[in-house]
Amino acid sequence: MIVRYERWGAWVKLETEAAIVALDRDGVRALGLDGGGAWESETRVSPPIEIHMAVTARCGAGCEGCYLDVSPDGVEPPREDLVRELDAAAAAGVFTVAFGGGEPTTREDLDVLADAARARGLTPVVTTSGLGLTAARLEKLRHFDQVNVSYDGDGDTYAAVRGFDASDAAARAIERLARAGVRVGVNVVLTRQSFPQVDDTVAKARSLGAVEAQLLRYKPAGRAATLDYLARRLSPEQARSLGPTLRRLAQVHGDTGEFHVRIDCALVAFLSADPELSANAAGLARFGVFGCEAGGALAAFTVDGRVAPCSFATATRLPALSLSGHAGDPELARWRAHVESPPEPCASCSLRTVCKGGCKVVSGFLEGVHGPDPECPRVIDARRERAS
Amino acid sequence: MSEERELDEDNIRALRAGHGANCSSIGSVIDTLFATATVGAAMFAAIVAALKKEDVRVVGADAGAGSRPAEQQPREQP
Repeated sequence: MIVRYERWGAWVKLETEAAIVALDRDGVRALGLDGGGAWESETRVSPPIEIHMAVTARCGAGCEGCYLDVSPDGVEPPREDLVRELDAAAAAGVFTVAFGGGEPTTREDLDVLADAARARGLTPVVTTSGLGLTAARLEKLRHFDQVNVSYDGDGDTYAAVRGFDASDAAARAIERLARAGVRVGVNVVLTRQSFPQVDDTVAKARSLGAVEAQLLRYKPAGRAATLDYLARRLSPEQARSLGPTLRRLAQVHGDTGEFHVRIDCALVAFLSADPELSANAAGLARFGVFGCEAGGALAAFTVDGRVAPCSFATATRLPALSLSGHAGDPELARWRAHVESPPEPCASCSLRTVCKGGCKVVSGFLEGVHGPDPECPRVIDARRERAS
Repeated sequence: MSEERELDEDNIRALRAGHGANCSSIGSVIDTLFATATVGAAMFAAIVAALKKEDVRVVGADAGAGSRPAEQQPREQP
């Protein structure tokens, strides 16, 4: 296991189980360890445990809502630069590095990068569109602990999210990866158009061999940062129905423990509409549910080698090679400060400690401020009440 | 003879299952929240068992401070 001390104990990444555990101080002592200085500081700022690394800005898919606005002739950083970034991540105590882009499989050295990450104690995972998955590219993907394929649904549903229908190609990629023994999951972007089909989409992904479905909130970044976002984002009613939807998916797919459903950080705010879940922040925390961890447990490395609070946020001036200096970066500190002391209605929300104020990328786009998530059901209700 | 590490489920503040592979936003397994108490208990029991037997390596800025080398760590009896 790999241990990283925190004020409250330590993060532990297990090797015989695919899991990361937050262990309290007594638990750490039971391992024969003592946090020393890490346990004495009240102001210590923890580095990320997960880095999202853009390994290329090259992608020919042309998705309408691409959050990075990448293109077929996008830049591809030299491998040596990326390896140095992996060094920086490992030195800071990062556990997981998720490769993205651009389309990571366009890199000829993707397997080498995965091996380089693993050699440094980092767990390498990757997201791909699955398009153009040649046998050679599939072989390179074997070097990752998990591969997620973007799969928003069948036919028109996929097209409604990305602007073209490549669902068959994505489905074939899932199936081929699974048959090749690669642990494969799917990323399902939830838009107004794809949400009604989410049960079918998850069932189809599972039938193709996926072991996990991660549901993602559509976010206004890159090419999605346009007025069209307003027509694609989940409707307020859909957002409010996330809790029952998750309960239904868990009932259908959570029976054997062989298939899991994930939600992304930005969806946690929508759980405030679910009476049972909103009253169970302790349960969510116990099962390690993360809300907005931008600049906290999460950071992104941009394709030009800078640190961003998350993949959707504007990069800071901090070089990725200086990740260990993240605590002193004013922009990352601004993101963390909002989480520490959010304004109302977040301040009095029962989910605050888990949700952490919802998605700041959404609030920044819609309202121009680093404020409460304007699509959060609780925020909507509070504003409606105040207005009346 | 090696000693048993004395820790249990109460020492676990949070369990993040799996290594999600999304590259754009951090994800969390949610279905386990709706699982039966038996399933949840089994998950935590498996984690505790792993915590009791795996070798230890400390990373990050505090690596080396307060830690013991892996070979000195107590190991679970085979």
